[in-house]
Parts: sequence; structure tokens; C-alpha cells
Amino acid sequence: MRAGARATLLIVWLLALAGLGWLVAQRLKVSTDLRSFMPAPTTPDQRLLMEQVGDGPGSRLLLLAISQRPDTRLADAQLAALSQGLASALHNDKRYSQVLNGSFDLGALDPSLLPYRYLLSPTLDTQPLDEAYLADQLQQRLDDLSSPAASLLKGLLPSDPTLEVLKLAERWTPAKSPEVREGVWFSPQHEALLLVQTTAAGFDPDAQQLAIDGIRHAFEALPDSTAAKLEFSGPGYFSVVVGAQTRQQADWIGRISTVGFIALLLLAYRSLSSLLLSALPIASAALAGIVALTLAFPEVHGITLAFGFTLLGVAQEYPIRVLSHRRAGEDAVQSVRALWPLLLTAIASACIAYLAFYASGVNGLKQLAVFTIVGLLVAGFSTRYLLSRLLPVRVRDVAQMRWLARARDFVDRLPRPRWIPVLVALAIALMLAFAPGPFWQNNLAALTPLPQDMLQRDARLREALGAPDVRYLLVLQAPTEQGVLALSEKLQPQVDALVAKHAVDALELPSRYLPTVALQRQRQQKLPDRATLRHVLSEALQGLPFRPDLFQPFLDDVETARQLPPLTPEQYARTPLGQRLAAMLVQRDGHWLGLGTVSGVHDVAALQALGESTNGAVRLLDLKAASESLVAVYRTRILQALLAATILLVLTITLALRSLRRAWHVLAPMTLATFLVLAVERMAGIEISLFHLVALILAGGLGLHYALFFERDTGDPAEQRRTLHATLVCVLSALLVFGMLAWATIPVLRAIGLTVSLGVAFHFCLSILMAPHASED
Amino acid sequence: MRVLERPLVVSGELAWLGGDRLQRRVDHPQQETATIADGEVTQQRTGKSPRHFSLSRAPQLQVLLDSFVALLSGDAGRLQQAFEVRLSGDPASTWTLTLLPRDAKVAKTVASIAIDGVGKQSLCMRMQEADGDLAIDLLGTLAAKMPVQPTREALQALCQGMH
Repeated sequence: MRAGARATLLIVWLLALAGLGWLVAQRLKVSTDLRSFMPAPTTPDQRLLMEQVGDGPGSRLLLLAISQRPDTRLADAQLAALSQGLASALHNDKRYSQVLNGSFDLGALDPSLLPYRYLLSPTLDTQPLDEAYLADQLQQRLDDLSSPAASLLKGLLPSDPTLEVLKLAERWTPAKSPEVREGVWFSPQHEALLLVQTTAAGFDPDAQQLAIDGIRHAFEALPDSTAAKLEFSGPGYFSVVVGAQTRQQADWIGRISTVGFIALLLLAYRSLSSLLLSALPIASAALAGIVALTLAFPEVHGITLAFGFTLLGVAQEYPIRVLSHRRAGEDAVQSVRALWPLLLTAIASACIAYLAFYASGVNGLKQLAVFTIVGLLVAGFSTRYLLSRLLPVRVRDVAQMRWLARARDFVDRLPRPRWIPVLVALAIALMLAFAPGPFWQNNLAALTPLPQDMLQRDARLREALGAPDVRYLLVLQAPTEQGVLALSEKLQPQVDALVAKHAVDALELPSRYLPTVALQRQRQQKLPDRATLRHVLSEALQGLPFRPDLFQPFLDDVETARQLPPLTPEQYARTPLGQRLAAMLVQRDGHWLGLGTVSGVHDVAALQALGESTNGAVRLLDLKAASESLVAVYRTRILQALLAATILLVLTITLALRSLRRAWHVLAPMTLATFLVLAVERMAGIEISLFHLVALILAGGLGLHYALFFERDTGDPAEQRRTLHATLVCVLSALLVFGMLAWATIPVLRAIGLTVSLGVAFHFCLSILMAPHASED
Repeated sequence: MRVLERPLVVSGELAWLGGDRLQRRVDHPQQETATIADGEVTQQRTGKSPRHFSLSRAPQLQVLLDSFVALLSGDAGRLQQAFEVRLSGDPASTWTLTLLPRDAKVAKTVASIAIDGVGKQSLCMRMQEADGDLAIDLLGTLAAKMPVQPTREALQALCQGMH
């Protein structure tokens, strides 16, 4: 190719890349919701889990603590002022559906809903508004007036002599409240406490980050906030912390290994232009993969991209193979042509392996399949048809390097006894049989553990605030919304009994916030008409010093309450507390679910017994058990997909090589090495997680390449040396990148790093030891 | 008066428990004890479960606490900190100490507090609430002189030592 044509090709390629980059920037929408990376749920509990993971009332709670900085002294009053300031700043923010700080808040009931207090409060269920009751209440109010509470109640008195508003406020404050000092919640550790429920799902780290930033900004805008410190806890905060930690560690490891990788390639090929050019197929692969994703899916999952880039590591082999197989004076196009059938087999088999992900039926994994397959094809074909035309003509033939010749001799002289596969297989079987601990890791959280002090703080704040448990939910099911509320009302006495027995610290049911329409009607019918109430009131006021016309607003409110249409969840949803209720009532598949939040579970069996006679209408959902069963389902899907991929792979390789014996030389070392990694990790006490499986697949893809190339019989010693060179560069670069990851402190990164490094090493050794001996052929 | 036709009369005992702790016990007409401690008020009535609320929600009590503790402990600094203090009359015979709360939030409920005395003895504490209501405490020996049907004027006369 002439220099001019080469420059044109390079420019066109770069322009195409820029175009793809522009498309990506325009179209790419990254979602961080973990749920789209989970398999389709099958059991009702799993389905509820999928909806509730991050979306349930418990997991959307942020626990906040405001404390003094170590070097300052803040009085309770100042911390309380900060708590109040923060709460009022967040109150009208759409990002938060509920903000509680312990201050008793009449504003919780919308003023337009104030007359509804007679329909919402349980007073009328047991107590008619008769003369005796009113007289007793009025006497108590008179005592209140002479008491220190006078200023609290004086304003309420004319419209609400029975203090229904206070009864509702008490009913709606969390059952187990922390100590109240200066009007707000305080922990025993001198921290002002707040509970904030976010509108965003708990396991959507980006949305949670926004919610947390919003709280931080509101806090920093408060006067005197510099002397205090604001701490967070709760599932949403944890998802942010874990995401940031993982990204941070992956970033610095990535930086170091990138530098090492570049240095390695420079050392191997001594050509900067070759190095830069060989980055083009990978860049094209990544961009094309993302564009394909944006075309096929409305949103791309963040994990898809992270895993995808990892799996795309296989594609780095293609340019490396081409560079290592260059001969002195030979056109790169010619070198590639000789290599192409084998490279094509490698690409096709890697694609087939990744196709397994598509069959898994999990949205995130489907995306992963689309991304990697498109990426591998683009990397392969651009290496073959574009890169080969751009590479400089004058190159050093690696086959001339003396150390390589010696290395090849060493490899050729290695004994290759036929019993090696048998021995390795036996070792694998033994190791798997005697490995300690459970085989599978079902707890996804174990892979992204939180710092111990953070967990302790969470436990402490949760205890202090009586915040609901994130593990258990009491699920009520009925055909209609009102049915759920009715079930909830019916269940309330049993729940009260459980709380009294200390089986559970608190259990909050939806009917606590809104009674059924039927119950509201019943209460409405118990309200006396204006004339009756006026008469009863004037009788009750006999002998009391209240002004006679004082209670006109009370008469008006009761009359209004008599006429009101009962409150439904839709109307209620517009009030601050309505959000709280909305989180507890969800519609699904034509029926409604009520979600009771549970705090401080002491007796799980007693809670489970609640639902025993209800035919499934009431049940205790253990989110941890459901998520573990979901992970197990997930793994089964991946394993099935892998099995299918293996069969396809055997067929492809056999067809491509047109020989069962040759296919054996390729597939046997790969299979053995894969199981060897599994066995060694199990022997080391590692429980196998989904991430290990994904990493095994990547290592398998790399190992397949090694085996394919070692198996290739060219009869040319120089070409054999080039193969060794290419494979060594590939192995070293993979070991460099993933070996670094193996040192990470975050288990998920370590899982991937360790598995791929071990895999690469085993694949390399076994494919050499099990390759047909040069002298055999 | 905002809500009542005739004044409410209660009798009992106010006790300073040292520090920032004060107890207000009412014996008549209803037994009730209110204790202020650590910024929290606990209200206890016979036959009822105690009611707790923050001191910041009961400005009258806050004022009572500040003025009482300051007066009883003789802490002029504290008094000056919480109130603007005015003294009228003759310290040797009849005098009135008027205290205006400095805290705007407190002043919204309690406009002023006036302590009347003769010589070394305090006779009365008059708390003027911002909504126009007035609470008058007859202290010490004067407590026995509470009329059955008190009027604002009669009580004020009592307090100013015209007995």
C-alpha cells in the first residue's frame, strides 16, 4: 500500500471512530439500577423481591446523624437547630418522600385534610362524642391550660378539644422512637438523628448519590453547620459507598496496569507506531459494541460496560498475534492472510462462548453478549482488513530473537507424557471433593463488603431510631387496595399482640396511615349532627370556665367531617404522609400488595405464623432468602448457557479443524485448565460466585486462543517461535492486568483478578504440555 | 382572656431542684407534677401516663426556669443573658423587677415577666403572655390571700403590696 492510501485509510478509520464516539455520546444512557442485572424472577417471593430490592420502604430509608466535630463543643440546642433546619429544607424537595426528626409536626396533616381527623383517628371506634366524653375531655383541657403544656395546646383548643390531631401525630410517629431532646431525636451518643425516605430506589447508586448530595448541600447551607458533622447510613448510602470504593480501586489498579501493559508491548515490538495502531481495533470494538447496545436496548447497564470491557480483553490478542507473526520484509497483509483461518476460528469460538450469555434470559447478560460479540467481530475484522494495511512495512522479525529461539527449544524439549491429562483430572476431582466450605457463594453482598465501622454505625443508628429491618417484610395480598387495607385492619390486633409479646419491636401496617373507606364511613356515621353536638357540648361545658362561643370551629369541623367523601389512597398520596403510604401499597398483576415494615425481629417463627391460616394472603417475606434463591437461579441459567456453549464450541472447533484428534488437543487443555482453576480456588476455601464464573469464561476464551495457536502445525520452526512470542506477550499482558486486580482488597475485583490470572497461567502451561509434540508430526 | 371566661386558679409548690431543674407541683384542683430536667418537660397526672415534651415547646416554662434559677441562685449574669432587666420602685420598700425575654421565639409567647416584692421578699410573679393572657403567681405568704373570684385588678393590687 502506498503511503498516501495508507494515510487516507487511517484518517477514514479515525473519522469513523470519531463518528461512533459521537453516536455513543448522543445515545448512550447508562442505568445503574442493579435490578436489570438480575434474572427474571420465577416465584412470587422473588418477583416481590425484584420490586422491593431498593424500592421497598425499608431500603429507601437514609439514617442521618448530626454530631459535633471532635474539636468543637455544640450544645444540644445547636444540634437540634441544625436538625430542624435540615428537616425543613428537605420537606418540600421532590427527592424525599418523608423526613422525620422527632419534632412533633402538625404539618404532617395537610390543612385541607384537617377535618378528616375524625375519620382517621380511632377514637370514634370506642368512644362516641357524647356529653360524658366531652365533659371529661374539656376538664382535661382546662387542666392543660394551667399546666406548662398550655402554649402547646391553646391554639388547637377551639377546633380540636379532644386533641385528635395529637392522637394522629402520635399514631404516625415511629413506634419505637429515640429520646427527644430540644424537640428532636437524639442518640445516647449526643447525635441529633433524622430519618429520610428517598423517592429514588435504594439500589440505584446514581439516584441515591443525587439524594445524598441534596442532603449534604442543604446541610452545608445551614448556619453553624461547619462545626457539626453529618453522617449517613442505610442501604442507599451503602450502594453509593460500595460503588465509589470499587470504582476507585479499579481505577488505580487500571492505571498501573495500563502503564505496565504499554511498557510490555513497547518492549516486545520496539515500535511506537505499531503500538498506537494496534490500539485502534480495540477502540473500534468498544465503540461499536456500545453503539450496538444503544441500538438494541433503551438503557445500557453500567455493569454491562464494566464486564464488557473486561471480556473484550480477549480482543487485544488479535493485534498482538498479527504483530508477533510479522516476518521481515513481508507485507502485514500477507502475514495476516496466513494467520486468518486460525484467527477466525478463535473469534468465532469466543463469540459462541459469549453467545451463552444471550441465552441466559437476563437483560444485563444479554447486553453483555451483544456488546462482546459485536466488539470481538469488529476487533477481529478491523485487525484483518484495516490494521494489516496500516502497519509499517519494515519490522523486526521476532523469530530472529535469540532468547526466543532458546525458549522455543526449551518448550520443545519439555516432556509431554500422555498421562498428564489423567493426572490433572484426578487432581481436580480430589481437590473438588475435599475442598472446605460450601461450593457456591449465594450472598452477593459478601462480594462488596462494607467497612466494619460502617456496619456497626448502621446497627447502632437503626437500633436508636427503631428503623425498619431491611431483611423482612410482611406482605398482605388482596384483589383491591381497599381489600389490603381491610386485611391490614383485621391483622392489627394480632400484630399488637406480637409486639406485646416482644416477638418483634414494631410492625407497621398500611392501615396505620389510612383506614378503609368502610371504617371511615362507620366513624362518619358516629359523628353527631350539628344540633346534637351543640346541645351535647353546651351540656358538657356546664360549670367550666370556657368562653361559650370558643368551640365554634369544633362544631364546624365535625359538621364538615360528616359530609366528607372518605379519603382514598389516591387523594391521600398528595399529602406528605401519602408518600409513606404509597410506598406500602403496590399493585401487581391485577392484585394489590400491602407491605408491612418490621423492626427488631426476635421471633421469626411467630411472624411466619401470622400468615399460616390466611392461605397466602399474609406472608413474611425474607428478602435475604429470596435474593439467595434468585442468585442460585441466576447461576443455574449461566451454567446451562455454558453447557450449551461448550457443545457448540466442540462442534465449531471440530468442524474448523476437520479433525477430532486436533479438536481434542485444543479443547482438552482448555477444559482441564478451567476446572483446575475452579478446584484450586475451592481448595483455597473460596466460595464460587457469579463473578468467578464470568472470570472463568474470560480465561477460557484466552486459553482457547493459546491452545489453538500451539496446536497449529506449520512445520516451520520460525513460525513456531513467532507463535510462542505472541502467546507469551498475551499471557504476560493478561497476567499483568488481572494479576494486579488479584491484589485488590475488594472481593469482587479480587475474584475476577485471581480467577483470570490463575486461568491464564494454567491454560498456558496445559496447552503447552498437551500440544502435539513437534517431533510427533 | 382568649379561651376562658373567668380566671383559672391553681395552687401548689414550685421547687428548684438545683442546676437547671425545676419542679412545679399543682395540688389543687387537680394533682399534677411537671418536672423540667435536661431541656425536657415531664408532666405527670394521677391515673395518666406521663407526657414528655421539649422545653423549647413551652416558653413559659423556659422563662420560669431562667428567671427562677437566676433569682434563687443570685446569678445576675444569667438573668442579664436571658432578659432585658428593668427595676422600678425602691429596693428598700416596694419594687418591681420587669424582665423582657431576649429570645425572639420565647418573646412570641411570653411578652414579659414582672416580679413584685417588698424589701427582701418576693410577693408575686406576673407573666404577661403575648396573646394578652396574664398568669399571676402569688408567692410565699401571699398565696394564702388568693381571692375566690380573682380579678386582674385585684391581684395586681395585691402584688403591688397594697394589702
